[in-house]
Amino acid sequence: MSEARIVEKRKLGEDYIYFVLREPVIASLASPGQFVMVKAGEGWDPLLRRPLGILWAEDEHFALLFKVVGRGTGILRNLDCGNWLDVIGPLGNSFSWNDNGPFLLIAGGRGLVPIYFLAHALFKRSLPFVFCVGFKVKEELDLLQLLEGKNWNVAVACEEKDEKVFCGTVLDVARMQLRQNSFSKIYVCGPHDLLHSMAVDAEFAGLPIEASFEALMGCGYGLCLSCVLRKKSGEGYFHICKEGPVIALEEVSW
Amino acid sequence: MVDLSVRVGDLRLKNPVVLASGTCGYGRELAKFINLKMVGAITVKGLSMEPWQGNPPPRIHEVYAGILNSIGLENKGLESFLREDLPFFETIETPLFVNIWGKNVKEYVLLARNLDAVERVTAIELNLSCPNVEKGGVSFALQEKVFEELVGRVRHSFTRKIIVKLGPQIFDLEKAIQILEREGIDFVSATNSFPGLAVNVDEQRFVFSRKVAGFSGPAIKPLALKLVYDIVSVTRLPVIGMGGIVCWRDALEFLLIGARAIGLGTVNLIYPDAAQRILKGIEEYLDQKGISSLEAIIGKVR
Repeated sequence: MSEARIVEKRKLGEDYIYFVLREPVIASLASPGQFVMVKAGEGWDPLLRRPLGILWAEDEHFALLFKVVGRGTGILRNLDCGNWLDVIGPLGNSFSWNDNGPFLLIAGGRGLVPIYFLAHALFKRSLPFVFCVGFKVKEELDLLQLLEGKNWNVAVACEEKDEKVFCGTVLDVARMQLRQNSFSKIYVCGPHDLLHSMAVDAEFAGLPIEASFEALMGCGYGLCLSCVLRKKSGEGYFHICKEGPVIALEEVSW
Repeated sequence: MVDLSVRVGDLRLKNPVVLASGTCGYGRELAKFINLKMVGAITVKGLSMEPWQGNPPPRIHEVYAGILNSIGLENKGLESFLREDLPFFETIETPLFVNIWGKNVKEYVLLARNLDAVERVTAIELNLSCPNVEKGGVSFALQEKVFEELVGRVRHSFTRKIIVKLGPQIFDLEKAIQILEREGIDFVSATNSFPGLAVNVDEQRFVFSRKVAGFSGPAIKPLALKLVYDIVSVTRLPVIGMGGIVCWRDALEFLLIGARAIGLGTVNLIYPDAAQRILKGIEEYLDQKGISSLEAIIGKVR
């Protein structure tokens, strides 16, 4: 458990908040795909911590990006630079790579968070990748500010028409990339429906896919067994906080 | 130096904090955050003979100052526990309580017999709120005859301490306590989560596939406290009080009304070091009041 100090805050679009936090231990341990459990407010309502993916980590700092969706994130939105966050982490597993790519990275909406961290790590190691990112509404395009100045190969889609970007889903642009280039592996994070579409789409079937799953979590460290995902082989469930959040897409039962 | 040790029957715990079943895993999950040697006792997650998958998601739903859970008793089964987790407990001296559940009386008895051979286990705790498949899925706590048979047969199968965990749903509290006393049960723990319900208004359906889920967290503390008060009123059996404890003040409420130890449950999910925080608070309270022993205040408010 740590107290992390907010050193930078930005509002991106209507609903997204970006925090840079100073907490050297978490910053030094965090890997792409991992998350932290954040206490929203000081009392007992809301009760549970919120799982938030780590956007990047470097030296003594790490960043969070979250969408304001309910009471907990609503409280977090009101915090400002100089405030402290009660944080547990880093938690969960991380993305793995055992070849030199090129890799196809797919991020849907707030699924951008772990994929962005992965892109950082790959870029640092000079490993090639294409970063596909897609949004449902134009407003979310404000998140592209995070990609400014990055020397990454980025393909953007938005389901709402906007003259600056491709109109369609992130999977549409990902399919285009698959047809034009060869990749050794795919990494994805996004809504459950997006992951489901990929799991049943023959076009994605030929490559290994590592997916980062989101879930409601009671604790984030394997006590409550609430964040489960049915396994394809054998019986039982993956516990997303412990055996995930990164899980091979082909191992999940839909 | 304040003496935090408590007598629970003829068992002495170094302090009153018991980690409650289902919220401290099999121990190791929490050991990353706290030293398990510093708690009074630890109760590992409810075990069945065979591994059990539990319920499909969603399994958790947050409500005001509480949670509803529908985990469905997922656990790794007795054999895996003995093989994978028991060696860890050999490295710490903290008393070990093992919560058990079965689908029929025979399964409880089998679990009790198997655990009787495991000396490291200080006590078994019977979870009676699971469905009895042989009696139409009604919980063991709702049928006097089955309750009596279960408790009696487990007593004959386990030679050390037996804790019976009572929830708010019991056929008759006083009669149930009489049975526990008559059968030679050692301790009572109370309470389990309360039955609760949640509806997804957007999708116009129940949140959980089984509709009813277990309600826990600070919101249930007054209800749990009343139940523990009632139990203490009708028995001399030592009671481990629990339900919604999140801070040292909550813990003291249970001790002041007569619980001899307190269980920490949901709070472990939010603050894995809750036991440490609560013990520190109790110690400071006693120190400030000039009370040298926790025993001196147990049952002071009746």
